[in-house]
Amino acid sequence: MIRADRVGKTFFLTQAKEGRFSSLRTLFSREKREVKAVEDVSFSIEEGEFVGYIGPNGAGKSTTIKMLSGILHPTEGEIVVGGYSPQQDRARVASQIGVVFGQRTQLWWDLPVHDSFELLQAMYKIDRQSYVRAMEMYKELLDLHDFLDTPVRKLSLGQRMRADLAAALLHNPPILFLDEPTIGLDVVAKTRIRAFLKEVNRTQKKTILLTTHDMDDIEQLCSRIIVINHGKKMVDTSIQELRNRIGLASMIQIDYHKPPKLPEAYANEGVERIELAENELTIYYDKGKIPSPRILSEVAQWGEPLDIRMKEPGIEEIIKRLYR
Amino acid sequence: MLALYRKLLVASIRAQMQYKLNFITSAATTGMIMVLDFLILSAILYRFHDVSGWNIYEVGLLYGISSVAVSVYRFFAPEINDFEKYVIHGELDQLLIRPVSPLLLLLTRNLDLSRIGGMVQGISVLILSIAGLYAQGKEIGLLLLFTPVAIVSGGVIYFSIALTTAALGFWTHQVKDLQTFTIYAPANASNYPISLYPGWLKWMFYTVLPIAFMNYVPMLTLLGKAESWYLPLLTPVVAALALVLSLRFWAYGIRHYHSTGS
Repeated sequence: MIRADRVGKTFFLTQAKEGRFSSLRTLFSREKREVKAVEDVSFSIEEGEFVGYIGPNGAGKSTTIKMLSGILHPTEGEIVVGGYSPQQDRARVASQIGVVFGQRTQLWWDLPVHDSFELLQAMYKIDRQSYVRAMEMYKELLDLHDFLDTPVRKLSLGQRMRADLAAALLHNPPILFLDEPTIGLDVVAKTRIRAFLKEVNRTQKKTILLTTHDMDDIEQLCSRIIVINHGKKMVDTSIQELRNRIGLASMIQIDYHKPPKLPEAYANEGVERIELAENELTIYYDKGKIPSPRILSEVAQWGEPLDIRMKEPGIEEIIKRLYR
Repeated sequence: MLALYRKLLVASIRAQMQYKLNFITSAATTGMIMVLDFLILSAILYRFHDVSGWNIYEVGLLYGISSVAVSVYRFFAPEINDFEKYVIHGELDQLLIRPVSPLLLLLTRNLDLSRIGGMVQGISVLILSIAGLYAQGKEIGLLLLFTPVAIVSGGVIYFSIALTTAALGFWTHQVKDLQTFTIYAPANASNYPISLYPGWLKWMFYTVLPIAFMNYVPMLTLLGKAESWYLPLLTPVVAALALVLSLRFWAYGIRHYHSTGS
């Protein structure tokens, strides 16, 4: 469905000049800085796969997605999306993909949500019947009813993202590119979007490529992840494989009223490490092997907890661990 | 294609109308600036009577064509004029993921309705000038026929120059002060006979910024200042050529679009 073959993107950034006639002087400037945003990246994604594309900020995730969707032209290598090159057949690829940028809406900012859908219908030449069918389906699945007549600029972030997802899927593309679709959303909104994406991937066999900084997105949605750092592909593996390789440790931290009394030899499958510093207890554990509520019920027996904090391992930390 | 153009345009205008006050003030300002502009020109002409052998009505003809043509361009292509923001903020991204030409999408994003003021002002000057020439006993039939051609061709020439300038933004990321040289200065210069200007500037106006072909060159023939009968024919030909070249350059430039990180 999607194939990238030794793809690279190099920018030549001209040092922008300041002051009068800056653009003229920039145009004729010779000071150029070479930036390799993406270097020698290859992968192939089959129909129906749900792939997480992760890496720290500035790793080249967005650049890759933009090359796949035909926005940017790669400096090297070849890309095929849905059978065509996004660079040579941009329009043809465009009608086969749905794109969502979490940071920026694709909808008409000042118009009611519903108007955006109608404009997209005209743009993608969606016939009346398919359009009505798609609208009915996504209105239901994403619960758009309440804000179809609201101008996009007045939507909450969660509502906007739901509308954006519907807009990306309206023309029934087999491929979805999602660039940080859960960014900035609260837990409820995130859960809802994830459930929707799972559903779309399962029932409609959509091929989905997702970038995110949220490990829960990856764990709950993706069957495979590709890690990119400094523009290069580092890892391309299934989630299970990754879990075995590094063990995604979650952390739970408890402040006790008084120093807790730990059982002499506490051993539990899934708990990796326990640290105690006066009143503060920190437990590192593998969520896959021991559910958080069980740990919570046990720690309550060791003393009187004042405060409990839970932390998931961040993406940066996992990448750091991968190459330690 | 045309239906889509109309549909998108109507949507943009409806969006624009949500900010009515903004629209009214900008229309009023544009109108005032244009009137001021013309008053200055009239004052100059009143003082000197003619400019390098062109009398007040003849210069009025040049001025009228140029100012309507600029207004036509600004009316239809405000987003080309403001293209810088698309490059700097990466806003072009969302146009490039559609199965439609990004240029069509750009042109439908906005219509600068406030430019109607400029068109009305320019057309008034044209009417006064042609009436004046008629009173002087000049043959005006051909002039009346040719003026619309000159306006459309002029609009196309300005659009082509603007598109080329915008496409340079794919490399420079800044277009605003380039536009001073490529659009605003030529737009002012074409209010007067090109023969006024020094050689190198004249050369520019005949080649890379071919505004001479919009009004000055054809008027040489139509006002009986040159023998060659074919000069007016050059107007639409140069406009078409400029358009084709600028579209090519745009298509080449868009391959160098950087977008922004997110």
